[in-house]
Amino acid sequence: MEEGKAYIESGILELYVLGQLSAQEQLEVQAMASTYPEVKQEMEAIEIAMEKYAVQNAVKPSVGLENKIFERIGIAIPQQEAKVIPLNAEQRTDYPAKIRSLRLALVACIALLIVSVAALYSAHSDLGSARDQIASLSADREKFSSTVNYMKATNADLNKIVAIADDPSWKTIKLAGQKNPGDNMVVYWHPKDKHVMVNTNKMVLPANDKAHQYQLWALVNGKPVDLGVFDVNADSSQILVNMKEIGIAQAFAVTLEQRGGSPTPTMEQMMVMGGV
Amino acid sequence: MAATKKISLSEEELVSKLKSQDTLAIQALYDMYSGALLGVISRVIQHTEVAEDLLQETFIKIWNSAGSYDNSKGRLFTWMMNIARNLSIDKLRSKDFKNSNKNQDIENNVDFIDAQKEVTFNADLLGIKELVTSLKPEFKTVLDMVYFKGYTHVEAAEELNLPLGTVKTRIRMGIMELRKNFN
Repeated sequence: MEEGKAYIESGILELYVLGQLSAQEQLEVQAMASTYPEVKQEMEAIEIAMEKYAVQNAVKPSVGLENKIFERIGIAIPQQEAKVIPLNAEQRTDYPAKIRSLRLALVACIALLIVSVAALYSAHSDLGSARDQIASLSADREKFSSTVNYMKATNADLNKIVAIADDPSWKTIKLAGQKNPGDNMVVYWHPKDKHVMVNTNKMVLPANDKAHQYQLWALVNGKPVDLGVFDVNADSSQILVNMKEIGIAQAFAVTLEQRGGSPTPTMEQMMVMGGV
Repeated sequence: MAATKKISLSEEELVSKLKSQDTLAIQALYDMYSGALLGVISRVIQHTEVAEDLLQETFIKIWNSAGSYDNSKGRLFTWMMNIARNLSIDKLRSKDFKNSNKNQDIENNVDFIDAQKEVTFNADLLGIKELVTSLKPEFKTVLDMVYFKGYTHVEAAEELNLPLGTVKTRIRMGIMELRKNFN
């Protein structure tokens, strides 16, 4: 006990704490400290005092130094340090991620654009074919309706012809070929009502050209009376053609005249003729 | 930065974590003692960058030689303090440092260092000046030379033209005064 106290008062413990002793002296102090608890206690009190003195004489390190040290030791930057430089750290780590997502968005936009263009092109060609279909359908419809009209008209004419055949007041005059033996045609005449019609369906005459037309004549007491002109062509939609009226006639004849007809028949061009 | 949560652990926790190479220990040590250690280093090496490099080296060495720390020989801080001071003195005496710092040969210019220190250090630490002024100047000079500036007590005696016994006494008296102040 006394030895310990004397040892403490020698001042060697202070020198020990301050690192002023040789290796040999240090071993002595350590031996004393392990032997005498009061020596150990005194040594710790000196150490704590010097520690506090050092802490109170502290010099603050630069902000970044901590991370440099931790990096070298291999510590990932601790959470508390993330707070020290939050904005910079976040921005630095976020830029590549942002660029990556922007790149992704750009690729997606381009892909979408390509798909859109393809869809538009396909829609456009679909629209074109739909338009073509509509056009062909409406052409078909027109053709169909004209066919219907044609058939209606022909049907009406055919009905009329049937009625004429059954009606005794209608006369059917057959005209026979004068220039060509095969030529012939039929004229329907209602003397009482003065109606005259020609049946293009039952007409065997060569087709006239654009400069000429056939002209129907009635022979009344030896004189020819003009009953109008008509055409002979393949696509004639009318079966019955109304001609000019006449109440009295002994015969009918057809000549080929210039387009619009002539005041008097050209006798050399007499095609067909038939008496009542 | 002021809001940063500092890690603080007990001496026992620090030692066991440091020895098991738990990185939390080095973070706690940095939070608790980086300033104190840089205070010591800076009094030996004034150049801020070099001093901070030495602080780095100090922590690397603390980390790498944690296994050699023996708590029966002294407290953890005393051990760390000695590492910091030894690295600083080695640097001060190294050829490359002397060459680049001829104008700051502090071994021969104690007054210059003292003047520098007063201005440079602890500007933001209230209470220090009180403590410093409460130490009698003759104690403070000797203690600071030995504790902070890396002088041996023999060198300090030579520098101050004092008998070695007087230097030893003043060191002891200075530390006793500090202990009284802290209690």
